[in-house]
Amino acid sequence: MSSRRPPRGEYIETDTGNKVARKATLVGTQNIMLGGKTVIQPEVMIRGDLVRTIQASSQSGATPNSTAVAIGRYCFLSRGCCLRPPGRLYKGAFTYMPLRMGDHVFVGPASVVQAASIGSHVHIGAKVAIGEFAIIKDYVRILDGTVVPPNTVIPSFSIVAGQPARLIGEVPEGGHEAFELRDLYKTVGNNPQPAPS
Amino acid sequence: MAALTPYTYIQCPCSDLSTLGRTSDPKSPRADEADDDDDDRTFDPRAPRSNYSLYPLEYLLYCEDCHQIRCPRCVSDEIVTYYCPNCLFEVPSSNLKSEGNRCTRSCFQCPICIGPLAVTSVETKPDPSLLAAPDNTAAPHSGPYALTCSYCSWTSTEAGIKFDKPNGIHAQLAKLRNGGLTRLTAKERKERRKDPSHRFAPAAERDHERSALDDKLNLETQFANLKSFYQSQLADPNASDSGLAALSDLGFSSPTSLSRIMSIYTGGSLHDKKAKLRVGAMREALDTDEGLQLADLDESAAIAQLQCEGYDGTASTSQLSDQPPNLGEAHLHGRGRFISDLRPIPYLLRTKRSKRCPVCRHIISKPEAKVQTTRFRIRLVAGSYIPSMAIRPLSLSGGSSGTSASGSAGIPGALLDPLRPAHYLLTFTNPIFESIKVTLGAPAKTPGRFASKVTVLCPEFDIDANTDVWDEALKDPGGGGGGGGELRDRERERERERRRRKGEEGRNMSSNNNQLEVGKIWERGRNWVSIVVEVVPASLRLDHGAGEQPLREDDDVLEIPMFVRIEWEAEAGGDEVGAVIGRDREARERRELAYWCVLGLGRIRV
Repeated sequence: MSSRRPPRGEYIETDTGNKVARKATLVGTQNIMLGGKTVIQPEVMIRGDLVRTIQASSQSGATPNSTAVAIGRYCFLSRGCCLRPPGRLYKGAFTYMPLRMGDHVFVGPASVVQAASIGSHVHIGAKVAIGEFAIIKDYVRILDGTVVPPNTVIPSFSIVAGQPARLIGEVPEGGHEAFELRDLYKTVGNNPQPAPS
Repeated sequence: MAALTPYTYIQCPCSDLSTLGRTSDPKSPRADEADDDDDDRTFDPRAPRSNYSLYPLEYLLYCEDCHQIRCPRCVSDEIVTYYCPNCLFEVPSSNLKSEGNRCTRSCFQCPICIGPLAVTSVETKPDPSLLAAPDNTAAPHSGPYALTCSYCSWTSTEAGIKFDKPNGIHAQLAKLRNGGLTRLTAKERKERRKDPSHRFAPAAERDHERSALDDKLNLETQFANLKSFYQSQLADPNASDSGLAALSDLGFSSPTSLSRIMSIYTGGSLHDKKAKLRVGAMREALDTDEGLQLADLDESAAIAQLQCEGYDGTASTSQLSDQPPNLGEAHLHGRGRFISDLRPIPYLLRTKRSKRCPVCRHIISKPEAKVQTTRFRIRLVAGSYIPSMAIRPLSLSGGSSGTSASGSAGIPGALLDPLRPAHYLLTFTNPIFESIKVTLGAPAKTPGRFASKVTVLCPEFDIDANTDVWDEALKDPGGGGGGGGELRDRERERERERRRRKGEEGRNMSSNNNQLEVGKIWERGRNWVSIVVEVVPASLRLDHGAGEQPLREDDDVLEIPMFVRIEWEAEAGGDEVGAVIGRDREARERRELAYWCVLGLGRIRV
């Protein structure tokens, strides 16, 4: 009902609650899966066109899995960040691999993510570069300006920073709730609500 | 200057001197706490000690049995699981004893930049025939392998390390010296020592061999040789032939002190009661078999290398300290100083830890043992027991600050003007399901060199109980935008209106022109209350007095110590279950909790 000849909002809001900015660049949308309630801010780029060119197993010809980027629920992609599936040589040929992202993942402004998988409840700061095939587990905080080298594994409850990324602390027991992005989700969109005090 | 976002740090009672003399009675800390109230002592957030006792709320735990806050410094940790942070495999503690605290799979860090290393084939000339026929599944890589860093492009070939197989890197690396020469493993060393032909060779032959052996004596071998040498001396019954017996009991060469030192290193296996009774000096090691290692004082090679590689070729201290001990085959004197001497670092294991209350020994945090799960069996965080405090600057000059004060609030992180009153909104959110009574106490002037004036406009108030999360969730239609949101908006507005009417002490609305009134709550909600704190920042202008010191770092940060006391009524029980059953089950008991906290408001303009 929001699309009843209204002033065109900044965001397109889908039935599943995704809020996608009109000024975001989504390439290969058919290969991008959004879990719902995900916010994609302006100037975000998602490279869904970088799809896997070689199927993992040869017999899976019936259902070619062509997801390039899979994003869970309540993710927040800040302005100017880029999600790009990682690519490498596989059996002598170059192929891209899907980028998977769990729920409640915050990607800060101007960050580039080329991870193979990102768990749930992950906070990626501003201007972070995440190298190809990095694996980031749940409840990880990556501070601003970090460069995560390719193939890095960051275990749960890590706080990393630096170039290259170095473990600098652990997420305390009481800090789990800070990763929740439900409230942040409500503060953007065509009729944003103020953040609860 | 970096902007400062307002913060709240809470002091853990463990740093309180009055609670240090702990008794086994879990109630005693509370009694001490009550005594504190009479105390006029003001907590000084700038005291050097305060650094170690102040924590953000998220870092604090709460012991349900002692009813007290616990901080990371006072809880005792117990390791639940060891695991490798790279391959995320659990390492059983038996392996830990034999293999050490590093991953023995193929997980390595770059010695230069600590990035992860990957095994790659050294000869990676792209084979045109392979590219043409990608379905050719015959292993394209063969021949020697090396560890390469994808961040800084270091490869282990720079240290002269190549591997024959792409798996079992750790075991292969243990046998390799830098430069590709083989290296004795612990097992081989043991065998060599057992070998009688080697051990009891004629002296002439041993001399002949010595030069070769000197080379091979690495840290582990030297330690093993020295250990066996001194052990044999300790066991020797007629070793006591020295006259300096009484004096040398604590001396350098006395068996007593040696066995004492050795028992530190070897876990008491060497501790020999009989040795204590025997006194006497011991012979020192004389040759390589006995553990003598001649210092290699000829550093011309290192100097030559330094001249040709320069400073860039030397390893930094952090790189050297990252190197695992005992893996460098060089003995102490020839410790690697150059980047070319560095070896791949096996990943240091990480742990999952449970936390125990230091007083009552109850577990207050316990993660699941499995590496991949992030759930906790027990997680008593302070955030679900004590109210959280949020600070927000409040600007009254705007006049029309709307329904929620957040609208035209001052810019967060802005500098405070000296000697001009500033207002801050302090929002307390009650996490527990009982209504609580909060009493605040703050010194009228902040401690420290520059005393700012502080007024808490409403130092005593009640906060309604927290309601179930599900009530909130069910009320929330969940639908993102559009009608759902509007509906919720309206509902919220109605709710707010109701509270406004009901709350006689609620904030006076804009009709009253945002008048700040002493003793009035600014705004209240379901389980939160906002109050106003007025500060008059001190002037940082230095007096012209001669003895005045210049401004030190963070002297301009305005920090307010605040004593928070919470009282609530809880269902009795928990501690004394047996006693309660006999009495009225509905019995309520008054609980209270009091602690110091520090509100960091911002920086004062210099």
